[in-house]
Amino acid sequence: MNDADTHDDATDRMLLQRMAAGDRGALAVLYRSYHGRLCRFLSRLTRRPDVIEEVINDCFWIAWQKCGSFRGDSRASTWIMGIAYRCGLKALRQHGDEPVEDDPLRDERGSAHDPGEDRELRDWLGKGLERLSTDQRVVVELVYGVGHSLDEVAVIMQCPVGTVKARLFYARVKLRNVLPALAGEPVTHQENVP
Amino acid sequence: MTSQNGCTRAWEAMPWVLQGNAPQEQGEWLAQHLVQCTACRVEFEQQSRLRLALSLPAEVELDPNAGLERLLARLDRPEREVAPAPARVVPWLSRALVAAVLVQAIGIGILGARLWSAQPAPVYRTLSQASAPAVAGAIHLVPDATMKLADWDALLRQLHLQVVGGPNDVGAYTVIPASPASTAQTVERLRAAQGIRLAEPANATP
Repeated sequence: MNDADTHDDATDRMLLQRMAAGDRGALAVLYRSYHGRLCRFLSRLTRRPDVIEEVINDCFWIAWQKCGSFRGDSRASTWIMGIAYRCGLKALRQHGDEPVEDDPLRDERGSAHDPGEDRELRDWLGKGLERLSTDQRVVVELVYGVGHSLDEVAVIMQCPVGTVKARLFYARVKLRNVLPALAGEPVTHQENVP
Repeated sequence: MTSQNGCTRAWEAMPWVLQGNAPQEQGEWLAQHLVQCTACRVEFEQQSRLRLALSLPAEVELDPNAGLERLLARLDRPEREVAPAPARVVPWLSRALVAAVLVQAIGIGILGARLWSAQPAPVYRTLSQASAPAVAGAIHLVPDATMKLADWDALLRQLHLQVVGGPNDVGAYTVIPASPASTAQTVERLRAAQGIRLAEPANATP
């Protein structure tokens, strides 16, 4: 954890304490500060915006109810991401077999503000993540996207650190074997594990 | 160092160096290793690109203010309207199926009992089955086809006989005498009478 993380964690803890005292302003600040990263994290689980919003609100509804019992054993962000992960899995169980409605504005919206390079990067990432299992995608997002440590990911996913290590390892091997080809580069080390 | 051990160490260090959370000496060591190892350099470049792609904002665009408004409205509700979880549906479905099977089983049982009780007695008799007990002193009697009704009537009156059965398929009647004790004698008299083809005690074993 670097200095910026420490500062952020102290702010989050303070907001949680205020929430425990019934301060809705603190809830609003925390909600807005996590909205973006939760959107991105949950978009690795589902493409449905309605489900993502439902999960975010479920997550903060639980955080509002339980913030008084947050003991501070982990970072506040780890605690919140853990709640979001569990709510996300529950939503997947409930909506997982429902068809994803294609959003006709999605491509238009994406291309409207996405510089070409970002668009290309997104497509490249999307195709690579498609090859991973849900658990592997979650680990990759939490480590590379959110910046959590192995220990924190283990707390979020409620599993042993060894399991997280294994998921990250296999996800990286898979991505290493498919991402160069997706980028149009020659594959130099197929299935070659260090 | 480009040995296998060095590459393994580099592989493990990459995510944390990219996060900026690796110890300084680990970062320095990796930088040095990458200068010497082309494969790890390519891998690190790809890891950097992966991290960059993962740090892009979500493709799904949601309005945080609208979401927050809905959350605050939900907090004001007296009790959360919890949607029925799928897990709760399964026991109800199971119970309904069990109830349907039970109703079917009861129905089949009732139908079976009714059929059993309504079944008529068989119209045949096997040789091992005991025949219906004959009335004491009963006599099977086959009159001749040419015997007149007046003669038949007179004979029955004379011997004090009463018809209790018949005629059956072969034209035999079952008669009983007024006194069972005189059966043998009555049979003898019947055999001697004109117009009687057969007279046999009903309980006689063939």
